[in-house]
This record gives sequence, C-alpha cells and structure tokens, in this order.
Amino acid sequence: MSHQTRDRLLLAIAIILAGIYLFPLYWMYITTIKSGSEMFATPPTFWPTDPQWQIFGNVWQGRNMGRYIWNSLVIACGAVSVITVLGVGCAYVLARYRNIWVDIGLFLILMLQVLPASLMVTPIFVGFSQIGLLNYPRLAVILAIAAKSMPFFVVLVRATFMSVPQELEEAALVDGNSRVGAFFNIVLPLARNGILVSAILIFMQAFGEFVYSKSMIQAVELQPASVGLNSFMGPNTNEWNNIMAYAAIYVTPILAIFVLLQRRIVSGLTSGALK
Amino acid sequence: MKRFLSSMIDGRGFDIGLVGLPLAFLLTLSGLPLLYNIAMSLQEVDMFSLGSFWRPFVGLKNYRDLFAQPETWPILVNTATFVVASIAGQFLVGFGLALFFWTNFPGASWLRGLFLVSWVMPGLVVGAIWNWILSGDFGVLNFILRETGLIDGNIFWRSDPGFSLWAVIIANIWLGTSFNMILLSVGLSSIPRDLYEASELDGANVWQRFWTITLPMMRSSIGAIIALGLIFTLQQFDLFAAITSGGPNNASNVTQYWAWDLSFRQYDFAKGATISVIMIVFVMIASVVYVRSTRHEVRG
Repeated sequence: MSHQTRDRLLLAIAIILAGIYLFPLYWMYITTIKSGSEMFATPPTFWPTDPQWQIFGNVWQGRNMGRYIWNSLVIACGAVSVITVLGVGCAYVLARYRNIWVDIGLFLILMLQVLPASLMVTPIFVGFSQIGLLNYPRLAVILAIAAKSMPFFVVLVRATFMSVPQELEEAALVDGNSRVGAFFNIVLPLARNGILVSAILIFMQAFGEFVYSKSMIQAVELQPASVGLNSFMGPNTNEWNNIMAYAAIYVTPILAIFVLLQRRIVSGLTSGALK
Repeated sequence: MKRFLSSMIDGRGFDIGLVGLPLAFLLTLSGLPLLYNIAMSLQEVDMFSLGSFWRPFVGLKNYRDLFAQPETWPILVNTATFVVASIAGQFLVGFGLALFFWTNFPGASWLRGLFLVSWVMPGLVVGAIWNWILSGDFGVLNFILRETGLIDGNIFWRSDPGFSLWAVIIANIWLGTSFNMILLSVGLSSIPRDLYEASELDGANVWQRFWTITLPMMRSSIGAIIALGLIFTLQQFDLFAAITSGGPNNASNVTQYWAWDLSFRQYDFAKGATISVIMIVFVMIASVVYVRSTRHEVRG
C-alpha cells in the first residue's frame, strides 16, 4: 500500500469517526427544521423533506430569547472581566518565582479549582442571602462563577507566562523601567494571545453556566439562556423541534468561535491542563 | 507611605499585591463558603433561621439522620456507578481515538480538535440534545438499536428505573470523551519516536509495543487524566438537570444532584450542606492525587 493511499484511507476513517461522534449535533440542527409531523415519523428521516426555516424567528420571539441571551452575555462578560483583572497578575507572580510560597499558592488554587458548583452553591446561596447580595442576583452569579473559574484561568495563563523569556523583563528593568512598567509594556503584550484564548475558554464556560444561575436568580427577566432552556424542557414535552431550535440558536455562536479559533484553543488548553 | 508606594510600583509589594488580591478574593468566595458549609452541617437550619448565623447547634445529628434515610445508600451506589462507568467509557473511547489519530495523516490534528466541540458546549444544551435522542417512542437511538437488531422493543431510557442512570452516563461519556482524547494525545506525542524504532528493529509487534512502551510511558498522564475524570464527573450536574432530574424515584439520583435538590427543592439546607461536606472530602482526595501526578510538571 503506497503512502498516499494509506493517508487517504486513514483520513476517510477519521472523517467517519468524527461524523459518528458529532451525530448528536447534526441531529439537533436537523430536528430544528423538521415539521411537527416529520419529527415523529417512523422511521425517522435523516434529511428533512420540508425544511421549516421560520422556526428560528418563531422561537426567538416566542421564548423571548433576546432577553435570555442578553442576560447570559452580561453574566459571562462580567465573570470574564473579574477573572481577567484578578487572575492575570496572580498567574504572572506564580509563573515568575519558584519557592515554597508559590508551591503553596498553586496547591491552594488547584484545590479550589475542583470544588463542584452544585455542592458549593448551598453555602454560597445562604451566605449571599445573609449579606443581602441576592438582591443583585446577576452580580451574585458573576462573583460565584468568578470564584469557581478563576483557578482554571490562572493555571492556563500561568503556562503562557512560563513561555515568556525572563531575560526580556530583566533587560527592561536594567533599562530603567519600573516593575509596573516592565509588566505592562513587555510581559503583558508578549502573553496577550495566551490570555485571550484562556479568557475565551472561560467566556464559553460562563456563557453556559447553569447551577448558580438556576439557584440564585428567581426573577425570570434576569435569567440566562441555560435556565430558560431548562424551563422550556418540561417532563412531558413534545415540542422537540422548538427546543432544538432554542438549543441551536444558543450554541451556534459558541461553536462558531470554537471552530474559528480551534487550533489556539486546543493548544492553550493542553499546555495548561496537563503540562 | 512613600516607601510603601515605591514598593508597590517597583518591589516586593508589587508581587504581593498581584497575588494577594486574587487569593483574598478566592478565599472569601470559596474558602469561607467551605467553612460555612461545615458549620451548617452541624446546625439545625430551617426557613426561619436562614437569615441568622447563630442557629441551634446539633452536633452530628444531620449526619446520623442522613445515613438513616432509606434513599441514602442507593444514591451513593448510583454515584459510584456513575463515576466508574463514565470514567471507564470516556477513557477507553478517548484512548482508542487518541491512538487512531496518533497515526498522523494529513488533517489529523484539525479533525481531532473538532471533537472538542462536545466539551465546549453548554451542559444544558448537551442534555437537551441527548434528552431528545434518548426519547422512548421517537428517539433516534432506539430506532438505530432496533434496526441493527440489538433490541426488540423500545427502551424508555429516561423513565425506566433500570435505564435512567445509564441515559445520563451515555450523555456524560459523549461529553467527556473528547477531553480525555485531547489530553491523551498530548501524552502520546511526548513519547520519543526512537523507542518504537528500536523495538521494531528488535522484532516487537504492534501489540507488544503497546504494552511495553506506550502504556508504561503514559503512566503519569493516565493517572492525571483519571483523577481529572473523577473531578469532572463529580461536578456533572447539568446533564441530570436536563435529562432525568434524578428520577424516576431517585433511580438516577447522584449525590451532587441530591445535595442541590435537598437545598433548593426541599429547602433542607442543613442536609444539603451535610452531603456537600462528605462529597467535597472525596473530591479533595481526588485532587490531591491529580496534583501529585502532575507535580513535577507544575513546578516546571
């Protein structure tokens, strides 16, 4: 078997595997544009005979999705801002030095990273309600998400800072920069891409966050899209095409960002999580 | 004051400020709740005492009550089943895929990265999609299983107590496989190629090479990935909320969902806190294993 045939064969198998793996996504999009009767046809159709494009507009308006997506955006942007402002400096210091205190700090951060949100939500909810923070439910959720996701961000960004050569910063200090100047003018621009990719990953997580929002936001007008999707899915629902349309509108922007930035996201993730 | 300011701009104070503020934030919003959780698990909490810090102290009564409840042990068994089956499935499928994509053909790394969409999607959306795929009468999975002759009648994945936990496990395996596969790929690509060339010259076949080179060289990656899998599986909440809500009759309930359910559906915050404390201890143990297995890399 020549080299080229082998490559083509492997590529074909890989595409088939990816197709099987991504079938649930395909099924979501296909169900969306099926009509009510086609959706429940036996055997199911794998290509819609009568695509219903107007469903996106109907679901967007009928479920008031603009408001839900806006709330998701507010929460995700808020959480990413808090995490970036606080996390970048932390990651920088943890990357720059190597001593026992840095080890302790890293250990603390890794331990805080693993606390499951659904277990932490009970004390956070009770504590927040006692200090009155639940009167600003979206802010409460932003703070809770920030505390949950910041350790992961710090671990990822720290890996980026490790790859910035320390000699550059030392040269800037010799040239008369202060530590603050060297940090903002030399180190930060060099680590910009890594920080951006990590922030995007955190944004995607916060955009889909569910537990905290579900528990702390009672007012429908302030709930994000994940809670909206949950209340759309009753126990005996049969509006699957509408639900899939909701899911498709919600998830498509995230998928688009991911496919565009795939290479960077994957390499950023792998450098931080394991190495 | 002036010395303090110059230290903030140009000395030790700069570093301490940069690391101190976030750590203070984290300790306030994660550390304090952690302690508060333990305190609440030792108190009697009801709707009226929710607003005050000084509630009646009851010692270990909540823990005793919890283990006296008939549903506790089945839910713990469910949690163990969920964790073991999810990790085994994610790891085996992920390792298989990672080995396949490791053969290195044009387009391999791009296609491999594409798998990760399952991991970046909101958990609720993944849950919604699987909820529809696993639906009893019109679900496409039942159709495929029927057509291939694996089953005769429809399986009611979400409402049959024998299958509802497995419905969530299937969805969770799908969700986590890609992450396992990407991390395993990183581990595989760090194995020096000349080891394989040498063993090939010595006449080792594919199978022998896998058992004597690949697996031993991957030992620390595999340890870290299993520990991470344990951590992620114990965090999985969205799929339960979207697919079964723990039902029917707790058949698919696991501790991380139960803790939330007790607090926010039954308003029994003390019980919710009690389960949380027990489970957080488990997660902490897993994370110590994870930190230990990546320690040399963490230190750079």
